[in-house]
Amino acid sequence: MKDFEQLVAELANDAAPVKLAPHPYLLSLKWMGAAAVYLAVSLAVSGLRPDLAHALAQPLYIAEVGALLLVFVATSLSAALLAFPDLHQKRRLAFAPAWTFALFVLVILLAWRADSPPAPLPVHSFECTLSITLVSLLPAAWTFHVMRKYASTYYYWAGSIALLSAFSVGALWLRLHEVNDSIWHVVEWHYLPMLAAGMLGIWLGKVLLRW
Amino acid sequence: MDEITGLEELMRKSMGGDKLAYTKLLRETARFLRPFLSKRLSFDSEVDDLMQEILISIHKARHTYDGQRPYKPWVYAIARFRLQDYLRMHYADQLRHAEELTGMEKNLQEDVTESGISYESISAEVEKLPERQAAILRLMHQEGYTDKEVAAKLGMTESAVKVAAHRAYKVLRQKLERQ
Repeated sequence: MKDFEQLVAELANDAAPVKLAPHPYLLSLKWMGAAAVYLAVSLAVSGLRPDLAHALAQPLYIAEVGALLLVFVATSLSAALLAFPDLHQKRRLAFAPAWTFALFVLVILLAWRADSPPAPLPVHSFECTLSITLVSLLPAAWTFHVMRKYASTYYYWAGSIALLSAFSVGALWLRLHEVNDSIWHVVEWHYLPMLAAGMLGIWLGKVLLRW
Repeated sequence: MDEITGLEELMRKSMGGDKLAYTKLLRETARFLRPFLSKRLSFDSEVDDLMQEILISIHKARHTYDGQRPYKPWVYAIARFRLQDYLRMHYADQLRHAEELTGMEKNLQEDVTESGISYESISAEVEKLPERQAAILRLMHQEGYTDKEVAAKLGMTESAVKVAAHRAYKVLRQKLERQ
């Protein structure tokens, strides 16, 4: 190791003016804006579900999509805060996804109870997980790419939340695209894989966000 | 220096490329971080090494500080992060050494048997070790317990037993080499 004074001198010599990182609110707004455009383009290409008007008349469908949207907003904001070493000194806000997930689970439970008699299961299964994953890849890659420019001290969490944020975009896209009212199917092939992606993000965070 | 506004002001100037302010800031940061690290690390050399890593991390991450929020929480977040990293690596390293030494010690045991050195012949030296280390070696070599069984008996984790045994072997080896 170098002498302390020598290190300080070297660091000071390297002290050129620095371009500041954007505020995490601005960063998350950028992510949300880009995701909104991406979602709109994806839906324009793949098409909205034909029975969307009918689906939008069902309060639990609106609640589910709304809660998923909240999960996306909260995870985007949290991922932006987690990219900063001190969470931009907004610790509570960084853990906001916990509340939105609780709300989301509550909505799913309500939809589950209301699903009587159960809606028919669609004929497909894993194709949904695959589609969500494919749609989520681009937002995930971009979020990780941006986060790597900063300095996360909670890289496990940051990775997990970043992937959840990306996968919530994919899940939103599929809920707006696919004609499907089976809550069983949605939980099994949309939301549980989304949670699994969150777990995978812990490892990905360790690999990609360490500095 | 008025520390509350002083550090933030120094950091703002540093971000603008003021080398003198940056030198002052790094020195001041090292001054208030030293007691924090000293409390958590055993040796001054570890504190010095980690301090340098922290200063380099501050330098790398300085673009994430905007000069508008308090400086110290930002610095402590980085310091804690580096400290955890350091401790994790340090203990992983110790555990690896302990495992290597356990393997080595098994081979040594064979040599000891061949050369006629028994546990009894070095038991006096073992008893001079700190109580817990002596108890671990006694259980392992006199009574034949495995690391896992010793851990259960003494209410320790298996890795802690290995680390303690490793330290004991090191001391014993030095003593025996001197004899």
